[in-house]
Amino acid sequence: MDAKQTEIAEKIKGILVDNLRIPAEELDYEVELFGDGIGLDSIDSLEIIAGIDQEFGVQMTGVARENFFNIAALSKYVMEHLED
Amino acid sequence: MANSEKRCVITGMGMINAIGNTVEESWNNCINGVSGIKEVKSIDTSECYAHLGAESAEHFDVDGGEDAERMDRVSLLCVKAAREALADSKIEINDSNADRVGVIIGSCVGGAISIQKFFTDMEKDPASTDALDIIKMPIGAIANNIAKIAGAKGVVTNVGNACAASTISIEYACDLIRAGVGDAFIVGGADSFSALAFGGFTALHALDTDPCSPYNKSKGITLGEGAAVLIVESYEHAMARGAKIYCDVLGNGISSDAHHITAPRDDSEGQMNAMKWALKHSNLDPKSIDYINGHATGTVKNDTTEMQAMQNIFGDNDNTAVSSTKSMVGHCLGAAGSVEAIYTVKALTTGVVPPTIGYSEEDLAVLPEKAGKLDMMPNVKKQKNIDIAMTNNFAFGGCNASVIFSKNEKEIAPQENNKVYVTGFGLVSPVGNSVDAFIEAVKSGKTQAQDGNLIANVGSDDYAEHGIKLAFYRKLDKLSQIQVVSGRSCLKNAGVEVTTDNETDIGMIIGTADGPATDIINFHEGLIKNGLHAGSAFVFPNTVYNAAGGYLSINSGVKGVNVTLTNGMQAGLQSVCYAYNVVRDGDEKMMMACGMDENTDIMQLLYEKLGYISKDADTTPYNKSGKSFVLGEGATSVMLESKASADARGAKKYAEVAGYAMTHESVSVGTLAGSDIALDKAIKAACQNAAISIDEIDAVVGFGNGNEIVDNIEINSYNRIFNGKKPVFSVKEVVGEARAAAATLQAMEAALMLSGELGDKLEAFEFDGTKAVKKTVDVSGYKYILVTSFATGGSYTAVVLKKCN
Repeated sequence: MDAKQTEIAEKIKGILVDNLRIPAEELDYEVELFGDGIGLDSIDSLEIIAGIDQEFGVQMTGVARENFFNIAALSKYVMEHLED
Repeated sequence: MANSEKRCVITGMGMINAIGNTVEESWNNCINGVSGIKEVKSIDTSECYAHLGAESAEHFDVDGGEDAERMDRVSLLCVKAAREALADSKIEINDSNADRVGVIIGSCVGGAISIQKFFTDMEKDPASTDALDIIKMPIGAIANNIAKIAGAKGVVTNVGNACAASTISIEYACDLIRAGVGDAFIVGGADSFSALAFGGFTALHALDTDPCSPYNKSKGITLGEGAAVLIVESYEHAMARGAKIYCDVLGNGISSDAHHITAPRDDSEGQMNAMKWALKHSNLDPKSIDYINGHATGTVKNDTTEMQAMQNIFGDNDNTAVSSTKSMVGHCLGAAGSVEAIYTVKALTTGVVPPTIGYSEEDLAVLPEKAGKLDMMPNVKKQKNIDIAMTNNFAFGGCNASVIFSKNEKEIAPQENNKVYVTGFGLVSPVGNSVDAFIEAVKSGKTQAQDGNLIANVGSDDYAEHGIKLAFYRKLDKLSQIQVVSGRSCLKNAGVEVTTDNETDIGMIIGTADGPATDIINFHEGLIKNGLHAGSAFVFPNTVYNAAGGYLSINSGVKGVNVTLTNGMQAGLQSVCYAYNVVRDGDEKMMMACGMDENTDIMQLLYEKLGYISKDADTTPYNKSGKSFVLGEGATSVMLESKASADARGAKKYAEVAGYAMTHESVSVGTLAGSDIALDKAIKAACQNAAISIDEIDAVVGFGNGNEIVDNIEINSYNRIFNGKKPVFSVKEVVGEARAAAATLQAMEAALMLSGELGDKLEAFEFDGTKAVKKTVDVSGYKYILVTSFATGGSYTAVVLKKCN
């Protein structure tokens, strides 16, 4: 993960902590967010989509599920779709 | 004792919604398929993906009486409907019957417009905020406003079960009439069109961009607005005054999904339970239901699971017609139940089934396969002789409610008459989260508040104790967190393991004064800051008053009756009365009676603005130091259980619930002075209900909080009522003004005292004239303890607990 992606990943982590009340210590970039990991659900995904749209201006509505797997995947998607 | 032979009848109706300002106007438009769904006017939806709504008239003719300026639009809508219902029923409420006339109003978002206004002002300039807006915010204000314009002095409360709220208001009124607690009730619901609801359903992507199309296209909700009020009366009372009777109200069913905070169960079990229980309670077979007004929100999840539920129960007969009047009036949230109840009653009495509008030719082509034998009433009304009809409503939190109306007299299933015992406790409080911590605090005396506040905390130890996982508890606002831990502790303390065998035998009634005000305001602040389109989907589900009850059901697996009441502090004692009714009547074996209220930065901001938070460390109940008190918080749960259930499992019985009363003397919402007489009446009526004389009361667990008006009302009442001095105990010395949590805790303290858990000697107040003096008293011989509580607006509840033999 390069410096830019790390910066994005940190911001996404902040969204998860602030908006979804996940304790920061439970989150690293690799932990699975949905399913057996942190246990996020469909309402949480709406919040992540809204948070990423607001923070980065990147639309993730309807984007494939694997891009939501963990913070690393989310930050990769955001970095690839950021408008320069 | 409940009397199932007592008939409950509808004698008056009033309504305002998008297709009419009166019942007749609205009904005529409804059966003719006139849609009230238009572009939203009252809020700016330009940034949102959907723009339609079914708003009531912006300006409507309403006499709000002398308190009109103190009313949010939601109360004004409700007054409009209530005045029509009262006039329609021709009931005269006067000195001879007012004590037997109650008010029960359901709402989802309450004074959301005033919340939006207050915090929009706050964003601009904190000095510009108006304290009166705070008074208008809670759902609890609505029923008080109605009681005042009507002159009702019986049970006054509100139901906070979101979209099933006003269905439950009808059901609870019938329960109370059958219990002999009142003769007539003004019931129903109201909700105004709000940024809270529009922003919330936008965040959930649950709104339809086109007019909603329930049971058909199912692309989402169209929000509506309105109020609908019914007069529910005992048959004897109606006959005695020569009233016109629309129909009988038969049985009802209320269930919990124990599944998800917003989504229904895939297997429709909870929805089916409500319908099945209503049928069972009414002694009816499914085929006898001629018409169902469905919940039918228009979301794919609701419509699919509801159709499945109806197919499973009614699908093998060809008698049942089903329609969705939401296709015309939108989803009126807390008013939906009573709006749809009135349409159901009109269908029954006029023999006309209203249509579901919005079917195209293509839709009609595929309908027969979807509908099976159900007659889905596409687009046009139908003449049909309807003897018996049902209306269903489902709410966030996984709450389901069904009620059945009948054109003719019909005896409902017999009710039991169980003795009811207190068999367990759960507590989250500023002095700790266990019964032992509370006992220790009571024995050791007053706790020290910080800056006029007492705070309760739940943390990892509490979650670990009950196996509550991060994925679950992180979703919860503080109010839900403390209630879930309190409820789980209560089940554990009572020795109850929730299994598939008993899950529907257990329920809960939760009382709250302020509801989830913090997350409601958090959500609004997000809207104000980021726009109506950018609300938090995460926070929105927590904004309904029954979210905590929903979460407790999900986390514990409890699937029985689940109702949230809200009318000030005493809602936490009203929950005891309601839960007692449910167990005594045999509807559940066990009911948790709960009270919850939170003390967060936002609550402190509101109470400070009202001038209530004390900065004096010596502020204590009954010292009448002025206006202020120590603001506390917590969640208290008390298990009430039938004798048979408690005996069968060898449960410890702490006390017996001997009787109760709920009274009202109208004063303006947010005030209390002048309502004294209602406390006297509550005490006398509770003793009468418990079949004891007032002299048999050994002690009182009271509600004084340090506010001079509150303390004086209580002291003066006891001086009038009792011969000689009675010891008065205070939990607010220990937990502060924890509002509904304190009210339930008062009942818990009384039960602990009667069972000897608090020891033989305790400190109590004794009132010497108007002065309170502390004394050590011997509690070991106490047989009856009275518990009292109050709400601003003039509502009081009194409960008598009895020592177990």
